[in-house]
Amino acid sequence: MAYPDKKLHIIACDVGQGDAILATYGNLQILTDGGPDNKVLECLSKYMPFWDREVELVILTHPQADHFTGLIEVFRRYKVDTFLVSKLNSSARSYEVLEKAVGSNQSRVVNPKEGMVIRLGLIQIEILHPSESILEQKSLDLNDYSTVYNLKFGDFEALFTGDIGPKIIEEILAKNSIELVDYIKIPHHGSRNGTALELLKASMPKLAVISVGKDNSYGHPHQEVLKMLKDLGIQIKRTDEMGDVEIETDGRGFKLLNP
Amino acid sequence: MKFLFWGLLFFVALLRILTFKTPVTDGQKVRISTKVLQEPIRQQNYQRLVLENLIVYLDPFPEVYYGDEVVVEGVVSQNKLVSAKLLSVKENQGILPNFRKRLINFYQDSLPEPHASLIAGITLGSKGSLGKDFWDKLKNTGVVHVVVASGTNITLVAGFLVGITTFLLKRRLAIVFVLVGIWLYAVLSGFDAPIVRAAIMGSLVFTAQEVGRLSQSFRVLVITGLLMLIIKPAWIRDLGFILSFVATGSLIVFQERINKKIQILPAVIREGMSTSLAAQIGVAPILFVTFGSFNILSPIINALVLWSVPLIMVISGVAGLVGLLFPFLGRMILYLTYPLTSWFVFVVDFFG
Repeated sequence: MAYPDKKLHIIACDVGQGDAILATYGNLQILTDGGPDNKVLECLSKYMPFWDREVELVILTHPQADHFTGLIEVFRRYKVDTFLVSKLNSSARSYEVLEKAVGSNQSRVVNPKEGMVIRLGLIQIEILHPSESILEQKSLDLNDYSTVYNLKFGDFEALFTGDIGPKIIEEILAKNSIELVDYIKIPHHGSRNGTALELLKASMPKLAVISVGKDNSYGHPHQEVLKMLKDLGIQIKRTDEMGDVEIETDGRGFKLLNP
Repeated sequence: MKFLFWGLLFFVALLRILTFKTPVTDGQKVRISTKVLQEPIRQQNYQRLVLENLIVYLDPFPEVYYGDEVVVEGVVSQNKLVSAKLLSVKENQGILPNFRKRLINFYQDSLPEPHASLIAGITLGSKGSLGKDFWDKLKNTGVVHVVVASGTNITLVAGFLVGITTFLLKRRLAIVFVLVGIWLYAVLSGFDAPIVRAAIMGSLVFTAQEVGRLSQSFRVLVITGLLMLIIKPAWIRDLGFILSFVATGSLIVFQERINKKIQILPAVIREGMSTSLAAQIGVAPILFVTFGSFNILSPIINALVLWSVPLIMVISGVAGLVGLLFPFLGRMILYLTYPLTSWFVFVVDFFG
């Protein structure tokens, strides 16, 4: 059972092949994506006090099944204050079910846009992507619309990248909006057409977290990505190898809790 | 006379089993329009239903619940319906299925996992929402019978109802009340074979007491089994049916003797230990043949957790009833189960 403390915890939940990342600070929770099934509930249960049935912010980076399916039960079981989600369509039947669950939760729905800043207590979230010009293009891969954001807490910074690919990375880099960070969520489960060397060089994280399922059929994470990280001396932690990856920070540096 | 009665009963049951056939042949494309009589089991890529004795795998969405009316199309292959498609699903608005759904929602809204699912399993036999990891651990440790609807639930409900009604009502009226309660609960908890068995046996025993006849457990068990097979011969292939009868039979034969032999143990775990050991004598060989394994530590694990089950069931039952009217108050009562379910989960995690 988790007791609230005065530190920010970031947990990359082991949800198999998919993403679900929980940030907690005291009684405040931010959940980014929900993974492909209900395993995310175990993660919330483990890292939240049992009496806390409220998640302050849920972010869905983009509407693909390995990112949103688990959110259905989250919206059914927890009170969600704000839901940050782009206006995109998914052909999946389950997405309708999610929309219905969000509706009955009466969450405030906010569409992310480049430049938007969200403050929750001492945590600040700066949206780097999608830009307006991207949102106007209707024909892109869903991955390219991923919500990308910087999470700041004191001097600590973390970069969350959804499933963006090289084209989008280039675009974000061109705007000089990537800052030096402590922590990065590697894009697209470590796929080859996710992480670009330039992104790592611009952000120079100390820790790279890859959310990926054991023996997945996509061959994630790709060897090239792992080599790139090694060559730059960035520590790699993978959910398929160690389960949940949890760090804590008091706003200066951070500590890996399950080394 | 006695011989004629038993002979006839056995004969009819046998006749029903031998003449019973799946009404369709392999490879035949069929459309089934029916009510969902067993709770679907949900996994990431499918939900598993049993319709008209056929196992059906459907896409996980839209979700189908116990009691819903469904129309499904697919091809029969042995006891499965393959490449099945859900053509329509109509939610059951009946009082009992709705009540069950609202209770489960109350548990899931109030407690984290696996506590919420554990409670839904213990009180209502709902196993649909248990996570796969925890389900596997329950199976490995041999305590999975606690979260599937089993005879124990009926015994507890009956005991609870007897406890309150005998205070308030006359004996004859109290028994009617208890019988109605047992059967309402049987429907509420999914009407699986073990529940039906316990409900019939319970009803027989209570009525027999009422008309002044001494009930003999083993005979009641056999009559119940034969009656059930006459009504639904397909149950002969239902593992839950078989296990329920073998376990109950073993309990009747062995539990008292084992209980006497383990007098040294503290009372709180003695009951669970002797129950589990007695049931295992019959059940373990079947589990071993069916699943290829059984846990030798299972009686010890059962002894460690079984004492908490009646407490969890009664507290959650009361909390659920209160919670549907006064959510906050219900939640406060439900929190009382948290130490108990935490202990249960800890033991299962430790041994699983």
